[in-house]
Amino acid sequence: MTHIKEQTPTLIMGAMLLVYGLIAQSGALLPVVKYLHTHKTLDLQVTMCLIVGCIALVGALVNSVRKPGHSNLDTFILQPLGGIVLILVMAMLIRWYAEPLMKIISQSLQPVLGFKIYKVLNLNYVVLGILAGVLLTNTWGIPKFAAPGVKCARFVLKMGVIMLGARYSFAELAKLGVYSVFLVGFFVLGTVFLVLWLGNLFKQPRSMTGVLSAGMGVCGVSATVAVAPVVKAKSAEMAYTIGTILSFGIVCMFIFPTIGKLAGMSPVQFGAWAGTGILNSAQVAAAALAFNAVDIETLKVAEIFNITRVLFLPIIVLVLATWFGKESGHKLSFKTVVIDKFPVFIIGFLLLFFMSSIGMFSPPSHYKGKYIDVSYNDRTQVTQEEWETLNKAMAAGEFSGLTPKQLEAVTDLIKQRQIAGNFEDRNNKKEFDHVGRARMAQLEGVLAAAKAKQIELSADVKSAIKHAVKQVHKKSKTVVTLTDFMIWFFAFGLIWLGMHITKKSITQAGGWPIVMGVIAGITKATLSFFVVLWLIKDVVLN
Amino acid sequence: MSDEEKKVTIETGEAGKGTTEIPDDANTEEVEERALSVFSSDRNEDITALIFCLITTFLVLLFTKWLV
Repeated sequence: MTHIKEQTPTLIMGAMLLVYGLIAQSGALLPVVKYLHTHKTLDLQVTMCLIVGCIALVGALVNSVRKPGHSNLDTFILQPLGGIVLILVMAMLIRWYAEPLMKIISQSLQPVLGFKIYKVLNLNYVVLGILAGVLLTNTWGIPKFAAPGVKCARFVLKMGVIMLGARYSFAELAKLGVYSVFLVGFFVLGTVFLVLWLGNLFKQPRSMTGVLSAGMGVCGVSATVAVAPVVKAKSAEMAYTIGTILSFGIVCMFIFPTIGKLAGMSPVQFGAWAGTGILNSAQVAAAALAFNAVDIETLKVAEIFNITRVLFLPIIVLVLATWFGKESGHKLSFKTVVIDKFPVFIIGFLLLFFMSSIGMFSPPSHYKGKYIDVSYNDRTQVTQEEWETLNKAMAAGEFSGLTPKQLEAVTDLIKQRQIAGNFEDRNNKKEFDHVGRARMAQLEGVLAAAKAKQIELSADVKSAIKHAVKQVHKKSKTVVTLTDFMIWFFAFGLIWLGMHITKKSITQAGGWPIVMGVIAGITKATLSFFVVLWLIKDVVLN
Repeated sequence: MSDEEKKVTIETGEAGKGTTEIPDDANTEEVEERALSVFSSDRNEDITALIFCLITTFLVLLFTKWLV
């Protein structure tokens, strides 16, 4: 037991994970996880804690008695074990405690502030993971026992990027309106090339310019994370890019609705402008709702444009991988750029993108594996209590403020106990599906009207309708599981990323990324404003 | 002594805090890059990540699609 002292932290973490796993398994944590809305992850919490705890204990004991060597077992498993367990514990704390707590706090602050901090500042596991890493490295520093393990994290981050490919497919691009593909494509590529040109002009490192161009052009944080390993961006450069994107988005989120109203934009025009000009998905939705809270058309158009932009990510990854390979060498041939210099893990990303496009994970027309199922199904029914609540509300005349179509949708929901088409049309799938989806849209309109305080509904009635709508929104289990893996890989890798952001590295990177980001962002927002006013009339969707 | 004169100090990761001495004719960027990873080259790291992901994808498809 010569090395027991060095292994003490790993032993303690392993023991704590085992104890936590056992407590969670006993059900003692149920009130806490229910409060945090993480009860669905309880099984995963138990499994992960028990497995990681056992591995940590066994590994630390082996390390205590074994002389460190240079075998693959030492390099890839035994020596990095302490660091891997530390980052995993941090990732678990963020995913199961910090992120849900942030949601609850921002929800309770909403009446005071008027918006949800969680959404506006994008305080999800991505940003929280980076912040946790930054905090650790700039306060206590990386513990000595964890240093070798921390070196495994970039590899895990790359695995996350590969898994990201499963969320995109060509079919989604094909079904979008021609206008949105053309318009968004022009602005995405335009912004990418503008930032690359600005980087050249201000003599910034290629890695910085590359990662900022993807962040400003495509979809903010996820594009930044995906492109960073492609252009070998340093952690501080990524931090600058994410910071620039989020702060630019916050400003846009407040300014866009005001400008849109002053310019007299139609809901469709504003949706197209917000979806093109604002980078972060949550901020796009917030701006669209701020412009028009009742008519969900603005939000729908904004989301279509936002999704189109996100779908350009695989194309941008390819463009930047080729650009970086070409720029980093001298007079390279096509073979050198595309075959030798091309990052191998991007082939994995493209492979999963291809598998998703041919429908291996879920029908290719389902965006991120999500689809609406309005067929007859016991599992899509509302509960008995919810049905009784709706019945009583109908009898009490609570739905008197609804439009005739909304009332028809609610009546049918009570009649069929679920959102579906007409029973007699069940053999005509197209008609049945069309009627079911129309009813779902009407019920969503009821919820939007209640939220905007145009009609008054009791909390139970709103909850019953919300549940009915949620029941018909399905997700492919395969895509959900692949996404879960991606989230864990990212959570792990991003904490590592934060650990490399020291005060020194931030000072070294300077303020140029912000200058370039602001120039590119304002140019894109202004140009898209005029183009949208000029080109977009009312019909955008197919 | 002549050996020491030819050496330069660089940041080697250790979570951005450590430094080490290397010969002054070494590829500094490459050494800094490698110090951040347990893998000996980018290609090894990428290929391992790719293989792990393909295994994960296969298992996910097996248990969520093909066997259910």
